[in-house]
Amino acid sequence: MKLILSLLLLAALITPAAAQNNYEIAAIPKDLLPYASAVVRKMDERTEVKSLDNTVYHLKVAITILNDNGDDHAEIVVPYDKSNRIRYIKGVVYDEFGKPVTKFTDRNFSDESYADGFSLFTDNRLKHFRATSISYPFTIEYEVETTSKQSLNLGNWHPNPYTGTAVQSSTCQFVCKPDFNLHYKELNYPGKVAISTDASGMKVYTWSVSNLKAIRSEPYSPDYERYKTLVKFAPEKFYYEGYNGSYTNWNELGKWQYENLLRSRMALPTETEAYIKRLTDTIKTPKDKAKAIYEYMQHKTRYISVQVGIGGFQPFLAADVDRLSYGDCKALVNYTQALLKVANIESYYCIVQAGSHKKSLLTDFASMEQGNHIILCLPFKSDTTWLECTSQRIPFGFLGDFTDDRWVLACTPSGGKLMHTPRYTAEQNRQVCIANLTLKETGEIDGSMNTTFEGTQYENRNDDDRDDTERVKKLKEIYAINNLEIETLNYKRDKKTEPVNQENIRLNARDYASLSSGKYFVTVNLANRMRRPPREVRNRTTDVYINRGYTDIDEITYNVPAGLKMESRPLLVSITKPFGKFTATAVLNEKNQLVYKRKLQMIDGHYPKESYQELVDFFQAVVDADDYSAILAKAN
Amino acid sequence: MVKKLFILALSALTMTGICKAGDFPYGQFTHEELGMKSYAKDASAHAVVLQEFGKSWISTAGDEINLIHEYHVKIKIFDSKGFDEGNIQIPLYKIDGNRFETITNLEGVTYYTAEGGNVQKAELDPKQVFIENTNKYWSQKKFAMPNLRPGCVIEFKYTLQSPRLFNFKSWNFQSDIPKIATEYEAHIPAVYNYNATLRGFYKLANNKAELERDCFSIGGNRCDCSKIVYAMTDVPAFVEEKYMTARKNYLSAVYFELNDYVSLFNGSKVKVTQDWATIDRDLKQDEDFGSQMRKTNLFKDRLPAVIAGKTTELDKAKAIYAYIQKNIKPNQFYGFSCDNGIRKALDTHSGNVADVNLALIAALNAAGLNAEAVLLSTRDHGLVNKLYPVVSEFNYVIAKVNIGEKSYLLDATDNMLPFGLLPMHCINDQGRVVSLSKPSYWIDLKASQKKTSTFILELTLQDNGKLKGTLSRYASGYEAYEHRKEIKKFNTVNEYVENLDEKLPKIKILNSDIQNLDSLETPLAEVYDVQIDAYDNTDHQKLSFNPYILSRITENPFKLSERDYPVDWGAPTETRFMLTLHMPNQYTVETPLQPTGLSLPNKGGMFVTNFTAQDNVYTFSNVLQLNNSIYTAEEYPYLKELFSKIIQTEQTDIIFKKK
Repeated sequence: MKLILSLLLLAALITPAAAQNNYEIAAIPKDLLPYASAVVRKMDERTEVKSLDNTVYHLKVAITILNDNGDDHAEIVVPYDKSNRIRYIKGVVYDEFGKPVTKFTDRNFSDESYADGFSLFTDNRLKHFRATSISYPFTIEYEVETTSKQSLNLGNWHPNPYTGTAVQSSTCQFVCKPDFNLHYKELNYPGKVAISTDASGMKVYTWSVSNLKAIRSEPYSPDYERYKTLVKFAPEKFYYEGYNGSYTNWNELGKWQYENLLRSRMALPTETEAYIKRLTDTIKTPKDKAKAIYEYMQHKTRYISVQVGIGGFQPFLAADVDRLSYGDCKALVNYTQALLKVANIESYYCIVQAGSHKKSLLTDFASMEQGNHIILCLPFKSDTTWLECTSQRIPFGFLGDFTDDRWVLACTPSGGKLMHTPRYTAEQNRQVCIANLTLKETGEIDGSMNTTFEGTQYENRNDDDRDDTERVKKLKEIYAINNLEIETLNYKRDKKTEPVNQENIRLNARDYASLSSGKYFVTVNLANRMRRPPREVRNRTTDVYINRGYTDIDEITYNVPAGLKMESRPLLVSITKPFGKFTATAVLNEKNQLVYKRKLQMIDGHYPKESYQELVDFFQAVVDADDYSAILAKAN
Repeated sequence: MVKKLFILALSALTMTGICKAGDFPYGQFTHEELGMKSYAKDASAHAVVLQEFGKSWISTAGDEINLIHEYHVKIKIFDSKGFDEGNIQIPLYKIDGNRFETITNLEGVTYYTAEGGNVQKAELDPKQVFIENTNKYWSQKKFAMPNLRPGCVIEFKYTLQSPRLFNFKSWNFQSDIPKIATEYEAHIPAVYNYNATLRGFYKLANNKAELERDCFSIGGNRCDCSKIVYAMTDVPAFVEEKYMTARKNYLSAVYFELNDYVSLFNGSKVKVTQDWATIDRDLKQDEDFGSQMRKTNLFKDRLPAVIAGKTTELDKAKAIYAYIQKNIKPNQFYGFSCDNGIRKALDTHSGNVADVNLALIAALNAAGLNAEAVLLSTRDHGLVNKLYPVVSEFNYVIAKVNIGEKSYLLDATDNMLPFGLLPMHCINDQGRVVSLSKPSYWIDLKASQKKTSTFILELTLQDNGKLKGTLSRYASGYEAYEHRKEIKKFNTVNEYVENLDEKLPKIKILNSDIQNLDSLETPLAEVYDVQIDAYDNTDHQKLSFNPYILSRITENPFKLSERDYPVDWGAPTETRFMLTLHMPNQYTVETPLQPTGLSLPNKGGMFVTNFTAQDNVYTFSNVLQLNNSIYTAEEYPYLKELFSKIIQTEQTDIIFKKK
């Protein structure tokens, strides 16, 4: 009894001593201050898989906020839901000398729903608290422990995801039984993982970084996974929402998903099956059948996201989508797949990381947390076709810039299969504008402007306006043509797999050219001017990355009043760089035509960081050329 | 055509005959409705409300007094862009754990033409109706109507029960989609007396009242009700425009506010809102308002250090303002009542708008200054109805301090605001001054300063084709406020200058000097030594030069031919630009710039440019003034034309030629 008491006392004595901190500002290394509005003093993350249905995550972080630009770090947000519970949250605010000022606990946190902005309903919630201090700098230190009844999503370690934040020290520990067989993937990790066994026989993996300088945002930089330190985790055996499973690669993970989450979801009511059979019976080729089914699905359904429990991974039943006519990406893909199956067309449910910024699944590391969207793949022989199932208007077989050119995981009966979605090249992503205009004595222009949109530029114009007043309003916002009035307007859409949209406009614009001292000043680039180049970056750290290539061509002919001569120097620019080409010319020909031609092509890819200044200079040259005014004067 | 906006007090109607109409039957549709291809009066509509009916009354069932609101609507959806109408979200307010709003009797049905051509009905599945607990004040009932197709008709109805009687239940005749028919029926017991206000552009198609005998009973007592019908037909969609003030100012709707009621216990009349005198009295006694303003003792210990050495009232007021700015950080909540009280706000350094500004008032009073509170409605919250007192329309409070003959309006929730300058969101018509010592009164909420900036460039063209010299920028009023915020986004001034240099690839900043960054009441001054890439050399026969090297307007912010709503320009602005260019001897001007002078009617603004040449020194200047915060829809075409002329002017160059 006595022994226990003294042990407790000892523990009480030791705890504050062990918790002795040095959060005074002076202790921050000087070279961590540039570009930093906050410095992570010490961050310790620890994930422990106690058993497959019990994972404990512990976070202890101390962060110094140097000025109010770092205030976001004082907003503490802890998400939770039914199977991920918060055990405790507690923290202390310190002043600049490292003296504690106030304490906070769970009770100070408000409870809110985790509105993701696109879901009709989600059962995720969060606890929120804002630590405040009246003077800067100050330090907040807090500790959070959460438990999770699963071992499928193990998170990742990303010690410095923010710009403007330096990291003095950050450590990640992963603790599990030796037979758990943790899989991990290190990205840009400078050190070597330390592996040990603790007193209770648990295997402990430790990663740490220190003295990471604050990062500035750099335009045209590649995906952060190419240059930032990250460690991703995946289990071999896991438990999740009533399911047990195991995987070591994409093939096995895809197989597990297919067999457990997908295979049994495809049953359809017999009337629907019968309808699909009638719909496709008379159609000859499988591709045309698939197109008819896809268009039927587009007409019948709409996208609505409802995320509850396993619903994060498992689609609604196809029969439910059939009944309700709505679902999220998983549900709509699964439904389309079920419909296609009725017509004996094979298709794959594919997990993809969607977004205009291209991002692939890691080809050499399988985990459940990669990807945020589902698309459908039709593996026709030498004619693989891809379907986006959440849009009512996108053409059959066209992915647009949401899921193009990246590695995705197809979940098939024979297991997961990595596949690559189509890349739309710089040549394919074309916008070609041909205008024929008359410049009147008053400075007014009128005439026609016809523009073709192809590749990912097909999506430059909405497809869902019902009448011209709406379309004209939008075009006036798109085209920076002073005093633009649109007399007639029409679109011709060819909704094939490589879709083309043609916009034909008759327009006029009063006072387009300025008249001054008896001369005409004409901004020759009618409607496709680049306003400013990207910011220069001194001491750039990342490579140059152009996410998607494109080609813009403009050919504008101004029929000008007779007897004018060009007084300005003719425009003649031609630049060729590895990442792009630009040409622009403006000449007055003998037919009294001022002819302007411009071609800008950007070529997607990664380029060395040294070429960034060249890229800025390139765009500056484009901006200058786009600003060019032709000066036309009466010939004497 | 410019439509006339009105805010109208709806008088108690003479009771006339019988109001017909009423709710339409649920669960029925016509083949005309299903066959509609578009809405004839607005072909751009993706959906249209066919019929909408609402009915509100006060219930005493279960010995609780509740407002009951029945809602019923039928919507035609033409295409997939109209599908959003089928995703419904009903916000529900929680007063506390026992008093909260609920929804019952929710039913919905979609009528659509199936693939085979036959008409189908799909009922809303109650299992697909969700309740989201958003935060401590709000939850949301959410559901998605099933089986939407282009051309379908959806119909749903529900009953809302609310313990909030004060505003009865307002009704929006107008929404983002047009409405063919919308009708509201209010059954108001004679013991309750509400003020009703109609806002918007459109007139009621039907407005009738009739007496209902013995419709309301409580504790064995009965009384009559007024049944009032408000209806509109063919209400256009509400289309938001750019640079617009609050939607609520223009949306056609009827609002209610409880004026008085007869006590259910003793039969005496209880005034709720009647006159400002009563409101003043209530506010002054309010625990979360007047009592907070009087908490001067909280500052007894704090104040001496804050105003030490300050002798004039103005200096004391400024010191106290700065102290509150620094000591209480606003959370995201607006309001004119305290959230936590100023004591807690001072302790935790956090509070809502009222916590911050009532603390300011208390502190000013504690220092012996004369400070009052000003209730206001922020810009995005809409204009306040001034026909009669409607306290619930305010959502913000600021301080007014009176020093000698002058008074200053203060908002301490933003630590970058200089003393006496209100944030733009407070500049909204008028506010009501509430003082502890005298009756309340209205005061204009005007921008006390303009948004003024001056750019001065002094440049010399070098033989290598580069321009070298200085660029100075001076900002005052709102411009200084906004620009300071921009600079403060960087951790240091050097980081700001580095970024500025990087943003202007053609301009190299050789040296910089920024003054008065933290002296909020003095103009912000920046002087840069610069070198600008202009030409590759000076060996050209001709050089053309556009003086708008810093920023040239090439796009008109106003593109529509006409507008329905006034233009909200923010603060009056004044931008001056002066460029002095020293040219090498071998050049002379061939085409000078033509001086321009344009102005808006009623002294609304102007644009003036000037160009002079003397020896080899060329001076170019321009001024753009926009003197109003708000331009009416009638003034819109002039404003648009002004920008068109600016664009024209700015595209002309000066042309120099070799002598």
